[in-house]
Amino acid sequence: MLLKLLQLSIRNILRHRRRNGVMLAAIVVAVAAVVLMSSLIRGMQEDLAETAVASLLGHVKVLAPGYRDDPGIQRSFALAEDWASEVDEGAVAGWAARVRVPAVIMSERGTRGVQFVGVNPAQEGISFLGGAKIVGEFLRDGADGRILVGRALAEQLETKVGRRLVIITQGADGLSREAGFRIAGLYEAQGENLEKAFAFTGVDALQRLLGAPAFTELSIRLHEEPALAPMKERLAARLTDLDVLDWRELAPQAAAMFLFADAAIFIWFLIMMGALVFGLVNTLVTSVMERVRELGMLRALGMRPSSVVLQVVLEAGILMLMGVAVGVALAGAVIYWLADGIDLSLWAEGVETFGMSTVLRPVALAEDVLLIVAMSLALGVAASLYPAWRAVKVRLLEALGR
Amino acid sequence: MSSASQAVARCVNVSRIYEEDAVPVTALTNVDFELAQGEFVGLAGPSGSGKSTLLNLIGGLDRASQGEIAVDGVALQTLNETQLADLRLHKIGFVFQSYNLVPVLSAQENVEFILQLQGVHPTARRERALDALASLGIGTLAHRRPGELSSGQQQRVAIARSIVTNPVLLLADEPSANLDSATTEELLKLLRRLNDERGLSILTATHDPLVMGYAKRRVQLRDGAIVEDAAVSGA
Repeated sequence: MLLKLLQLSIRNILRHRRRNGVMLAAIVVAVAAVVLMSSLIRGMQEDLAETAVASLLGHVKVLAPGYRDDPGIQRSFALAEDWASEVDEGAVAGWAARVRVPAVIMSERGTRGVQFVGVNPAQEGISFLGGAKIVGEFLRDGADGRILVGRALAEQLETKVGRRLVIITQGADGLSREAGFRIAGLYEAQGENLEKAFAFTGVDALQRLLGAPAFTELSIRLHEEPALAPMKERLAARLTDLDVLDWRELAPQAAAMFLFADAAIFIWFLIMMGALVFGLVNTLVTSVMERVRELGMLRALGMRPSSVVLQVVLEAGILMLMGVAVGVALAGAVIYWLADGIDLSLWAEGVETFGMSTVLRPVALAEDVLLIVAMSLALGVAASLYPAWRAVKVRLLEALGR
Repeated sequence: MSSASQAVARCVNVSRIYEEDAVPVTALTNVDFELAQGEFVGLAGPSGSGKSTLLNLIGGLDRASQGEIAVDGVALQTLNETQLADLRLHKIGFVFQSYNLVPVLSAQENVEFILQLQGVHPTARRERALDALASLGIGTLAHRRPGELSSGQQQRVAIARSIVTNPVLLLADEPSANLDSATTEELLKLLRRLNDERGLSILTATHDPLVMGYAKRRVQLRDGAIVEDAAVSGA
């Protein structure tokens, strides 16, 4: 019986090719737009997270209590050699122990405030620094006493590779420390904000300058975001006297944007599909009202009201299924075409303010596509219930008389 | 008239009152009527006399305002919409004035469709549908859609559809309305043959004296009441 109803539904759809074709095209465009938009929002979301995590945060960061309110070498901690033994279970992509202090940086021509960071270059594969383009030389190791500054900062200070910069900061004893550092290289980051904010030297060199063989932060990068919560829990249990924070807590603006992206996908879906549902209902009502007599005749012959409803629902379901299939395929093709990303460099300043990079790459998640497919079909079925109800509510004699 | 035990359809004190713009319009008044197994009854009368109303009530397409109607012993007033649909499917064959075939289905599929509603096995229903079409002389047109058939051919397909389920009662409402005289004659011979050979009970409502000429019993209605009910001698 279902097969016969299916056959009837398909033939009824083919009977009004133009009208159903227009409806089908609308479904295709709407579904493709929703899938494409969701993939762009997911791309933006992933980019936001990646940019935040790569900007020295890591997925999880360990800090001394009070460091966030008053950063300085006074709020530092020693790291045991075997600290990672209990947490490294393949979830960790890498980690970096750093010293980060606020400092004043001076050239012959300018002075700026920066975050002065002592790093072990071998560990910085987890941050933007590991992949940054360098003009000049990268730091050799943790004992390297030269300085690496951002290209934008160097422009502000009107200096270049090979010249000396003076750093003034506060030592572990609370007294000012002042030292000269030769510029090893200039790094280029995703945004000028990063280039202006951070200057790097070897961690051992900075510890010597500050007079404290300790670290101010331990940054851990994971292979996957879902491993974050358990990792944070384990670290908190292991390092009980330190603050263990994730990137969402450390970059709340990016985290808020991340959450907004989730909501934006659904809002976009509701707007597009909501508009579509009105069109679908209109088409189906027209189609049903045109066939009131025919449907009445089927009822007169003995077709149950539930079967009449099923036939109308099947028509909508088939239209929706075809539209969703073609729409998803179309979106897939566009996503493939945009795989290298959309260049947003024209609006670089704006997108960097939001913590994003200037290239937006679409990211199509299977669960998003499945959700859109399922919700579209559910909406299609829901939209067909009213016309179907109208079809069986017309009095049989009235229907036959039309 | 036949005994109550042989009645295919029975109406007892049936009235039907419609509401038109809140004004009650009486279509049938206290009608008592019985159709026995194997009868071929013609309902005649002017427009508005109530013949189609009576046909629709017996066919379960409409509900009586008052009285009792039974088809093959089943009281229609006790059935809900789904049960009525089942009763129509299994016990009644309909021939409508305007054929009412499904335009997107071929002649064979139109006939098969009703068997499919009954849940008949595909092989059996194909065989039965083709047999029904062949018995009405349109076996060669089985794969044509209604739009590709003449009026007479469409009405034959409609009759094939109505008899393929072996109903206890065939209801025909103005079956000749859209047919020319020659085709009407053919159609009536066909109905008469079904009545004679298969013992199929037929109730038809018509204005057409030609149709009444083929009925074995004539029932005359006027103003919603039966005014004459007589067997046709020699029919």
